[in-house]
Formats: sequence, structure tokens, C-alpha cells
Amino acid sequence: MSLRVLNPNAEVLNKSAALHMNINAAKGLQDVLKTNLGPKGTIKMLVGGAGDIKLTKDGNTLLKEMQIQNPTAVMIARTAVAQDDISGDGTTSTVIFIGELMKQSERYIDEGMHPRVLVDGFEIAKRATLQFLEKFKTPVVMGDEPDKEILRMVARTTLRTKLYEALADQLTDIVVNSVLCIRKPEESIDLFMVEIMHMRHKFDVDTRLVEGLVLDHGSRHPDMKRRAENCYILTCNVSLEYDKSEINAGFFYSNAEQREAMVAAERRQVDEKVKKIIELKNKVCSGEDSNFVVINQKGIDPPSLDLLARAGIIALRRAKRRNMERLVLACGGEAVNSVDDLTPECLGWAGLVYEHVLGEEKYTFVENVKNPHSCTILIKGPNDHTIAQIKDAIRDGLRAVKNTIEDESVVLGAGAFEVAARQYLVNEVKKTVQGRTQLGVEAFADALLVVPKTLADNSGLDTQDVLIALTGEHDRGNVVGLNQHTGEPIDPQMEGIFDNYSVKRQIINSGPVIASQLLLVDEVIRAGRNMRKPT
Amino acid sequence: MKEIVTIQVGDYANFIGSHFWNFQDELMGLASDPHGDPVFNSQDLNMDVLYRTGETQQGILSYTPRLVSINMKGSLGSMSSHGTLYNNDAPIASDVVTWAGQVSTHVSEHHKRNLFLQSLYEEDQNLNMANEANGGSTGSQREYQDKDIVDSLENGVQFWTDYSKVHYHPQSLYELSGVWMDLEEFDNYGIGRDSFAWTSHGEEISDRLRFFVEECDHMQGIQFIVDDSGGFSAVAAEFLENLVDDYTNTPVMLYATRGPGSNARLQSKKHTIFGDLHDAISFARLSSYSKLIVPIGLPILSTSKASKFLRINDEKPYHSSAVYGSALHSISLPFRMGPVRPTSNACSFSGAVDVNGVIEMLSGQGRQNMVSILDVAMPAPTLTGDNEQSLLENLQPLTPQIEEDVEDLQAVEYLTVHGALASAGHRASVSEVKDMIHAAFERSNMRPMFCHLSATLCPLPIPLPFPSIFGNLVGQRGELINGQLTDASRKGSLDVHSIPMAARLRSNSAILPFLETRLRNLHQFGIERGALGAPLLSSWGFGKEELVEMEEMLSKMVIALSPPQLSDSD
Repeated sequence: MSLRVLNPNAEVLNKSAALHMNINAAKGLQDVLKTNLGPKGTIKMLVGGAGDIKLTKDGNTLLKEMQIQNPTAVMIARTAVAQDDISGDGTTSTVIFIGELMKQSERYIDEGMHPRVLVDGFEIAKRATLQFLEKFKTPVVMGDEPDKEILRMVARTTLRTKLYEALADQLTDIVVNSVLCIRKPEESIDLFMVEIMHMRHKFDVDTRLVEGLVLDHGSRHPDMKRRAENCYILTCNVSLEYDKSEINAGFFYSNAEQREAMVAAERRQVDEKVKKIIELKNKVCSGEDSNFVVINQKGIDPPSLDLLARAGIIALRRAKRRNMERLVLACGGEAVNSVDDLTPECLGWAGLVYEHVLGEEKYTFVENVKNPHSCTILIKGPNDHTIAQIKDAIRDGLRAVKNTIEDESVVLGAGAFEVAARQYLVNEVKKTVQGRTQLGVEAFADALLVVPKTLADNSGLDTQDVLIALTGEHDRGNVVGLNQHTGEPIDPQMEGIFDNYSVKRQIINSGPVIASQLLLVDEVIRAGRNMRKPT
Repeated sequence: MKEIVTIQVGDYANFIGSHFWNFQDELMGLASDPHGDPVFNSQDLNMDVLYRTGETQQGILSYTPRLVSINMKGSLGSMSSHGTLYNNDAPIASDVVTWAGQVSTHVSEHHKRNLFLQSLYEEDQNLNMANEANGGSTGSQREYQDKDIVDSLENGVQFWTDYSKVHYHPQSLYELSGVWMDLEEFDNYGIGRDSFAWTSHGEEISDRLRFFVEECDHMQGIQFIVDDSGGFSAVAAEFLENLVDDYTNTPVMLYATRGPGSNARLQSKKHTIFGDLHDAISFARLSSYSKLIVPIGLPILSTSKASKFLRINDEKPYHSSAVYGSALHSISLPFRMGPVRPTSNACSFSGAVDVNGVIEMLSGQGRQNMVSILDVAMPAPTLTGDNEQSLLENLQPLTPQIEEDVEDLQAVEYLTVHGALASAGHRASVSEVKDMIHAAFERSNMRPMFCHLSATLCPLPIPLPFPSIFGNLVGQRGELINGQLTDASRKGSLDVHSIPMAARLRSNSAILPFLETRLRNLHQFGIERGALGAPLLSSWGFGKEELVEMEEMLSKMVIALSPPQLSDSD
């Protein structure tokens, strides 16, 4: 109240109002996202004010599309999005888990319990759950040759929650193979080395893996070949443009001839660079039936293109910065920054380079490479929103495979972990805790059940029946998950349903932290603007 | 031909840009009109500098601006982010091919097209039937409609797309999603930096730009317009940082704009400090990545000297951005002068220069001052011999916080005059314009060290979607009518068809107050011991060293411009 003295306009929400504002916001966000969860969830089609369509089943994408204004909801959303940034998945789970923790707490708080006690219980339960996760996880040995089968199962689990089964299964192999392609022993996996390209074309089942690279531009000279075999690839970052701005500064001229001479001299410098490239081409291609392709990150102006075309070289300009790295990984050789150090060793090799034109869009395929460490997933789809959705799904799939390789373990899915952890908390951990803090542990344990509950709900099953069946099996010592078609317990191991260990750990870690912060809010103060105004 | 790529970042920048592109579209329309004024028809302007030729998937040729526009999600109003040209046939709602399960559809409220956009849309639809004879009756009906359209725009412009008559390429319009922020709260550098993670959007934005750059054979430069009144400066700074890295030798000409009164609502002391620090940081960051920066945006435009003949409502961005858009158009004219066909009359323009030329001229000389002042005379007065209506005196600044009537012996100016009228009411020829300006400089007691003059016959065409901002003294061709200035009536695009314009960039020490304020604020609120804003700046992610570096950069700018007599007296 002292604030009132300082600023009569300040608005203060007292303790219970503040708490309920937070709880309601968390529940609201949960309501929006919970139908997303699982392979039986609902896909959302968002139609914008101008008729733009966005399709998504991904919590992360959905959160970003929503114009969230409520400060509590923004806080939860930020956590959930950070979850995605770190581990690549689990946005929806994080949001519904936080929502459920708040919901469970509400019950106790309404009965007069102090939030502090609940928060202490959360902390204990969180630590116990994380320990339990260590015991529960299934280790996977990733030697030189990872177990492809398990990777495939993880990828399929993720993809099936985003795309229909046939398409998900088709993409599973693409995703797994592409991660294995870029994987190098003893190095962390850089998913950026998988290029994701798209073409608006035909049907979604045409999506394929290109071992090599697809560039979204073509050569800019009419005389250059559109298709070439046995190609040497020169990856470079050398300006082949006549750049007046660079040289102009200190020079002055007094008449037109001098100016002409200067321009000619400057032009000659560019031509020299081009000639060096042509020399190299003549050296490596002489007598062989081979071609030469230059892919440059900088520009190439028409006179230079002309020279290159006359020498029978295919040249592409303004390649993406990342493609410089990818090209070298895919074709071999190295990226050169100056034409002075050109040697045949710098060159990469590709069996086939060809151009594909689609309206005004051009694509250049660099294929049939030897031993690639970079590859391209080429998505084809009938329209932009379909492509965007497949792209999101593929990103998640790639992350899931990467996580599995790096975690060297997986966690049984279909709700099995959540039910097992809940039983562990209720049956064992709770007894070791003194006093009312027990209730905090219980609230946490019940909140974990939100995952199987939502899965059942989304499949149109009766949640009570399902939970009783699942907990019953777990008490008998069988680790089971939920069969989404029948509602019967199943063994996730048999069905091949696996989740990422790091994603689960992250959810268990961040959920209670945010929930505790929200619960411990005493007062909400906002000086200046009206917070109750509808936004 | 040397191409220019334009980048617009932020709300107000897009308002200005929308006007800018409307002028271009209008010029092209007039040039292709066989019955039009020959002034527009002279083919002196090479539109390919700003526009690209493309082809839609259906094989239809397209001609669209080389533009990357960045704005908040939802700021496009009724325009689709894919533009209007490349639309594949409207997808059917049930057409979800990637999911076999349930679909829930969330439709946000449909933005209705306003009268103007509706008429454009209908025009497009009727294009095929355009050959049908139209009698006098439809003509008068049309007139009536135009008036309605102008009125509806006058009162109803909410988004910059509301008055845009240009077709954009699908790669042009980029919306930032995931910024959970009211536009009103998105008002300082730190918020922009926090809520916009470059990693998630940056690659996509760079790709959009690359799409346009890859097509260019010789890019002459990048025209970058940023709304620096809020969080978008942070977005722009990140973008520029990447851009400068990728296109090392491409000159960037940066217009840092803001709408009138964008700082007026900050009342409390704390907010004032917020605002001052934002200005300082934003300026320091943006200027470090560009070759030439032009701050634009008077706190109050309506009563400024620049709008002597204009009636502007400061509340409406539609109004004020029209003035800035016009000035930008004038400044950019010399970049694309050059006969498309060698046969055309070479006397209709003079003083062609490219972006790099202007930048070298203004900022590359002795003092290396990279901050320029923008002046404009809108409309430019009739060129008569007498002193009263001198063009030079009508050029009034659009750059805030500058000193007036400064004598600067080292000033460098770049002046464009187009469509100027001679005393008899006909257009002044290019040589007449040159003579007049020379004569004016002779008479004037403050002369710059150097002035580059570009002139062309082609005036600024006023497109239909243009605010009614002209006062009662402006005639149909932009001539100034003798009479009493009154506030009574405003003239718009129906009464005024074109206006002569003059705009000037000058590198002058008059900018000193602008720089000094920023330097002082940065020092006082950010760096000094116990500075009030220090915690704020560290929450924006700036370390002490970084701030000191900025301060040094700013003070270098100030010293370069400060009058030398101080050191002389020692």
C-alpha cells in the first residue's frame, strides 16, 4: 500500500488475486496447446487476417504465431520456446506440465495451504524424479556404427506426432540417414550441415534426400551448360566484380582518356583473377572428359561470367555463406578466399551437376558426390503452408536423432515414463518426506500424469479408465504405455515408441522452476497502464 | 545499369516506403500512358534500377520492387505476406494433406479491404475487359468514386498496406513472429534486442535479401530505411551487421526515420532517460554499420518550416510519411537517371550519380562526416529571378535537432531539383535550373564548399492514394498561387496532379547539436559513475567497454565537425 503513496495511479493486485491471475493464465495456455499432443492430436490451421494460412501441430510454432500479451503467459511461453531451442522438442509438454502444476496447486491453495510448502515439495519431487529418470532411461550404445533401428524408432515417434503415418514413416529414413551422413566421430553434430530446401511442386511424398547439395540459384549466363557430369567443384569467396568503390578513393583524373585508362586497369585486375581460375580449369580438365564448376560466395559480373562461359566453366554467384561449408563437406576440397593460392587440391568433386528451373526459381543440384558429410533434404509440397509444416516436422525429427546420438540413451514413450515416475513418487518418495511438504510431492506426482491423460483425451478415450489401467500395470511391475487406438496398456519397447532423454530431463527441470516462481508471486504491481483492460 | 536494393525495417519505415513505391508505380503508369504529359514520358529514368523482372509459376511476367520489408506480425493488414501477384489459387480449407487426424481451424478476424484496395482489386479483375468502350457516364461515375476513395483513405488508414498500389514479390514481405509485444511497448533498443533473437529469423531474412542481390549484375548500393523510434533499431542493427559482413563493398545509405511525436508520450523522468539512451545507443549502433546516415523525423512536422505550404496532421502517419517518402524519392532520382534508349533527349536531365558517388561526396571528403541533413522544398517554388522566393531559402530541414543558419565553410551539398517551374508557368529546362541555382548561390551569403546539382524535368506525380496535405496555395501543377495562406481547405490528389520538388542532403556542422545531445546523454546516463541508466544498459546487453567505444566514436564525429577556432586560439 505504501506504493499508493508514491504513485496514486499504480495498480496493485493482492496476493490471492495475483495468484489466480497466474493460475488462470497458465491454464489458459495449457488449454490452447493440449489438443496438440501426441499422434492423435489435432492439427491447427491458423488463418490470418489477410487469408494467409499456417498449419501447425508444433507447440513451438503455435506459440510464436499467437500474439500473447498476458505477462504470465509470456513468461511460460518463453520457457517453452527456450525448451525448444535447447532440446528441439517438448514445447507442448512443457506448457501443459506447467499448467497442470498450477492447477494441482490451486486445489491445495484454495484449502488454505501456503504456496511455499508446495514449492518445497516440488523441489524434492523434482530431484527425486530426475534421479528416477537416470534409472529409468534405456542406454543406447553409440559406437562407430550407431544402432540405426533405435534411431529410426525415435525419429518415427517424433514425426508421427507431426505428420500422417505414411509420410512420417517415409521421412523417418530420410531424417536418420541425413544425420548419419553428417555425423563425424568425436565431433558434435552440426545440424546446419543438413540443408533443407523446398520446391512447390507435386505431392508431399516426393520429398527426398539428396546426397550432395541443392542450391536455390543457377548460373547467370545463357551459354553455360545446364547439366554436366564429372565435375571439379571450386568453392570460393572471391569477388569477381569490377568494384569501383574499392579503388576509387585516392585516384583523380583530369581528362576522359585518363579515366578510361583507369577503368581499363581496374577491369584488368578482375580479369586476372578470372584467368587464374581458367588456368586451373585447363590444368585439371585437360584430356579428361570432365567439367569445372565455380561456386562463389561473392558476386560475379557479366564480363567475368562471359570469360568463364567461354572457357566452358559453369559459375554460380552469391552462394549462401553456409553453403560454402556444406559444399566442402559434401564434395571435398577446401574453400578458397583468394585466387593466389589455387591448387588442384582445393577442388572438390561431384559426379553430376544440373539445373532445374521452376518458373523464375532455379535450383542447382550437386549430386553423386563421394563420401559426403553434408546433404540436403528436398521437400516438395503442393503449397507453402504444407511445405512449412513438413519443414518444421523434419527439423524436429533431426533434433530427435541428434539428441539420441548425443544422449546415448532414450526413454520409453507413450506416457510410460510419466506413470512410472508418478508411482515412484507416490509409493516411495512421499513416505520419506515430513509433514505437509508431502502434499507438494503429491501435487507434482499428479501433475506428471497430465501427459498420459492428455494423450488419452486426444484419442477420445476415457481418462479415468486409462489411468487406472496404467497405474495398475505399473504397480504390478510392468512398464507400460498407452495404446492410443484401443486405450489398452502396451509395452512401448515392443511398439518402438521412444522419447528423447534430454527433452524429458529438460521438461522436468524447467517446469517446476517456472511454476514455483509463479506461485510465489505476492503482489502484482503495475504503475502506469491498466492491466485489467482486455487485450 | 546499376541496381539498388531497398530494405525497410519497422512500421514507420514501411509507411514511408509505401509512399515511395507508390510514386514509382505512378511514374511507370504515366510513362506508359500515350496521352500523358510528355514530361513523364521521356524515358530518362531507368526503373530497372529499383525493380526486377520476374515470372510467376503460371508463366506471367512480373515487375516488382527489389525490396525486403520487415515488420511485426499482423502489420500487413489485409495484404497477404505472399504479395498479390504470385498467389496460387486460394487453397480450400479442408485441404490438409499432411495430417490424417482432426483439424481445428482458427480464423482471425478478416481485415476488410478498404475502398481503395477494393477498387484496385476490381481493376485487376476487369483488366481483361478493359477494351470495352466506356462512355461519358462511367467517366463521371468514376470521378465520384475517386473522391470517396480519397476520403476513406484520409480517415481510415491503419496499416501501410492500406494505401499501397504496388504489387510486391512474395520474398519481399517478412513478418516477425514470436515477438509477444504490443507495438506500443516495443519502444526501445533493449526490448528489440531481447525479443528478437537474430538466430531464429536472421538466416531467413538474409536469404530474402540474397534472393534480390543474386540477381543483380552490378549492385550500386543498398537503400536502408529504418524506424529507429523503438525496438526495430535493434533488429536493423543486427541485420546491418550481417549485411556489411556479407556484402563488404556495397555502400549502405541509411535513413533513420521516426514519426512525429513518437517521444511525446514519454513523460516521467525515467522514461525520458529511457528515450535519450535509446536515441544514443540506436544512433551509435546504426551509424557504425553504414556509410552514410540521414536522420529524418521532426518531433512536430505540422508547424515546422518544411511544411509551410502543407497542412499536415501529426497524428496520422499516413500524412507525415508522405512528406518523407517524397523527399526520399527526390534524393533517389539521380541514381537512376540515364537514357533507356540512346535516342532520347539527353537534355532532360543532368547530374546523374550513383549511391557510392553521393556517399563519397558527402562523407568521404576531408571531415569524413557520415551524418547528413535532409532538406526539402515541397513544393519547390517557381524559379524566378527575384530573391523573395528563392529555392534555397525554401529548402527546410527534415532532420531534427540541428542548428539553423550555420556558416560552415567546409559544407558539402547534394541537391536535386526536379520538375521545377519557370516564371511563365512552363517547366524550366535543365539549363535554366542550373543557371538559377548558380545565380542563387552567387547572391547567397552562405555558400557551401561544394554543391552537386542534379536536375530533371520530371516532377513528383501525386498518385491517387496520397493524403490531402496541400494547402490552398498549391496549384494543380504544384505552382504556388499568390494569395493568403489559410487553414481552411486542404488539397489532395484530386486537385494537385504533380508538384515540383527540391531535396538536398548536406554534410554540415549544423548537425552538431544532434550529435552532441547523443554523446552527452550516453555519457551522463550511461557511462558516468553512478549513472542512472547504467543498469538499464547492462540489461540491454552492453558492457562498459562497448559503451566507451561508442562514446569514442560519437566524440570523434563531434570533434571532426567542431569549429577549429578552439584549437587555433591555443
